[in-house]
Amino acid sequence: MSVIGKTAETVSTGAREYLTFRLDQEEYGIDILKVQEIRGYEPPTRIAHAPEFIKGVVNLRGTIIPIVDMRLKFNCSKAEYNTFTVVIILNLRNRVVGIVVDSVSDVMELATDNVKSAPDIESVIDNDCILGLGSVGERMLILLDIEKLMSSVDMGLVGAEG
Amino acid sequence: MAESYQEGSGAGADFDLSQFYQIFFEEAGENLDQMEHMLLDLDLEKADDEELNGIFRCAHSIKGGAATFGFSDVAELTHQMESLLDRLRRHELQPIPQMVDVLLESADASRSLLARHQAGAQDEAPSTASLVRRISELAAGMVPAPSAPVEPQAPPPPVAKVEPPAPAPAAVAAPSGLRSLHVRIGPLDRMEQAETIKELFRDIPGLGSIADLPCSDTNARLFAVETSSTDSDLLDLFTFHVAKEQVQITEAGSGAAALAAPADPDLAEGAVSNLPPGEAYGFFNNAPGAPAGAPVPAIQAIEPASAVTRIAPKPGAEAKAGSQSQMESTTIRVDVKKVDQLINLVGELVITQAMLAQNSLGLDSATHQQLLAGLADLDRNTRDLQESVMSIRMIPMSIVFSRFPRMLRDLANKLGKKVEMVTLGEATELDKGLVEKITDPLTHLVRNSGDHGIELPADRLAKGKPEHGTITLSASHQGGSIVIEVKDDGRGLSRDKILAKARERGMDVSDQMSDAEVWQLIFAPGFSTAEVVTDVSGRGVGMDVVKRNIAALNGTVEVDSSEGYGTKVSVRLPLTLAIMDGMSVGVGEEVYILPLSSVVESFQVNSEDVNTVAQGSQLVKVRDEYMPVIALEKIFQVPRFDLEKSSTIMVVVEAEGNRVALLVDELLGQHQVVVKNLESNYRKVPNVSGATILGDGRVALILDIGGLVRRARH
Repeated sequence: MSVIGKTAETVSTGAREYLTFRLDQEEYGIDILKVQEIRGYEPPTRIAHAPEFIKGVVNLRGTIIPIVDMRLKFNCSKAEYNTFTVVIILNLRNRVVGIVVDSVSDVMELATDNVKSAPDIESVIDNDCILGLGSVGERMLILLDIEKLMSSVDMGLVGAEG
Repeated sequence: MAESYQEGSGAGADFDLSQFYQIFFEEAGENLDQMEHMLLDLDLEKADDEELNGIFRCAHSIKGGAATFGFSDVAELTHQMESLLDRLRRHELQPIPQMVDVLLESADASRSLLARHQAGAQDEAPSTASLVRRISELAAGMVPAPSAPVEPQAPPPPVAKVEPPAPAPAAVAAPSGLRSLHVRIGPLDRMEQAETIKELFRDIPGLGSIADLPCSDTNARLFAVETSSTDSDLLDLFTFHVAKEQVQITEAGSGAAALAAPADPDLAEGAVSNLPPGEAYGFFNNAPGAPAGAPVPAIQAIEPASAVTRIAPKPGAEAKAGSQSQMESTTIRVDVKKVDQLINLVGELVITQAMLAQNSLGLDSATHQQLLAGLADLDRNTRDLQESVMSIRMIPMSIVFSRFPRMLRDLANKLGKKVEMVTLGEATELDKGLVEKITDPLTHLVRNSGDHGIELPADRLAKGKPEHGTITLSASHQGGSIVIEVKDDGRGLSRDKILAKARERGMDVSDQMSDAEVWQLIFAPGFSTAEVVTDVSGRGVGMDVVKRNIAALNGTVEVDSSEGYGTKVSVRLPLTLAIMDGMSVGVGEEVYILPLSSVVESFQVNSEDVNTVAQGSQLVKVRDEYMPVIALEKIFQVPRFDLEKSSTIMVVVEAEGNRVALLVDELLGQHQVVVKNLESNYRKVPNVSGATILGDGRVALILDIGGLVRRARH
């Protein structure tokens, strides 16, 4: 799959580190280099007419950033906000975005051999945004191209001109 | 200044000059601006030595920089300007208007040449040959006008009058061709210094070639140089590494004697005083004891001469330069990003401080006396800090105003009008971001005043007005805003013609409209047609654009006019874009911020005052005026948890001359808010112009009143 071969790190080291998080029953992994920090959830300021999964904007040390609830975006069965709910702050191409997930698991190194290309399945996630499936022992990780996912039009995070 | 960093840069031999290009372009721009300003201020009858020196220095700095960076076309042009200015400041020539004209034109040409270099353009440069020729003619004392004024104190010797025009063109032509020179460097303490000269030729593209020649002196080196640069440019370059006195440049094959002579610091000066007049751009026509017409090749003579002017400047110039460098050292050039970062940090500090203050409200003042005293200090210090930091971005209005005299001068010349410009309140400070954005609209207003407002001199005299029209530009602080006025004593706006024009365009107007309402019509889009400009007293061209640009800055425009007596356009702007006076209103559980500048009034609403019209839109009657009602609850889909509460307060806001009433739950207060951009990480949100951070760290959205009003009026 060409998507994996694109990044230089994969070629040079053969392995990349992924931050894994849980949404409902599934476990996902995203490139650790895109992660700026992890914070607790605080109620954002609602934006009128925004899609449901955009919870609003919060103040991150003086910068105003949008918060996307991945559980709503991926149609998870429930999306509760409690003390365990975390927000992963991503830094994507000079834009800062927070995503709400159920929990963050750990940071994992995955060799290229352990990443299989994803089968063409019908899902809420565009297939282009899935880098592949990673297997760690018994567990299966869905590796997301988070940058592509966040900049896709139906995310509604960027204006038409952006 | 060019000189100061040239010296600093001499340390490294393998040095990339291009990293200093930006600094040079900025400096050259500033120098050109300053020169233009001083030229316009120049009193031709009794030109002040200081002024002439100042103009000379500007040209000289640009020339030095341009030569260093290899922009030979700019260097050449400014060199000619410098030559003319040098004769002026030595009182060898009397300044005449033609000189000011040609110098201004040259400044423009230099500016466009620089812009070309800055953009990295490779195409053919616009020719400056005719400018160069005109300058050198003037410098040679050839006055195009018949009435050549004669300097009373220091009449130029007759030799200047009979001077053949040949030397000047020769001097002009020389630098462009390739010349073979012998350069002697020495005596040197360390021979490596000579090597660095060779590296200079390697590092600067287009400078030419250099080769070693045998030299009899052990502590000196001789080079054969082929270059198209002038000698003074070479000297300027060499001074990176060796003192000027250690360099001798002679034409290949002609200066064997000079090369053999030991290097002497006095040599250059001695050579100059022996120069024949007329050959050295006429710099030293009055030099005592100069033999007339000694046959020395022109090129050789010129360059050492200009080199010496730098080594031994006039005492007056030196004193001025000293005070100027003192002034420079009090300012530093800082990247705007750094300042903005500082402002952001202070903004956060203010928010944190506000949060602390809020949390400390419940504390018992007896038991926490020290803590509360500390918080009070923090409050004061943060405020002071914020003020000081904000003032960094503030620049005086004179930066904007200074460009107008030139523009009006050109415009008046073109139109055959006589216009005087008066500026007031130039020291008024405004945020840099605003200054950049206000310049274009103001230029437009000033041009309109000159173009359409001021009448032709004959018409003015016929109306019993002074022949000179006056355009007054003023800036002043009024409360939290800055007010900039453009006023002229021209023909004013014609109420009848504007109304007629508006009817013609199918606009809804009546004769009962107040003057203010009529004047507002000129801001309507589409009113900017050519017929208006000729029929009515102008002011049509792009006034809608002016108004829109100013509204985008949260500003307003007002027009006041009296037919036959003049027009006044007032622009009111907030002091800064980063901080705004806001009124916070509560809707449901949410807080929204209204720009205080747009709030007209607020009142408790009675249900009988609100009328529902077609399609469910509502109107409220406020003192005999009906205005649309916008319920923020509906527009922002505010969820209701507490059904006890409801929107019962109307806030009347105004934008673009229209008013609407916003329906809110409660008024929470007024405070200064730091405006944050939503779009940097998110996207544009309808009806929202930005966001701010409240005292408790939450984000509140700032309403876009202009957008809301447009929405309601459609």
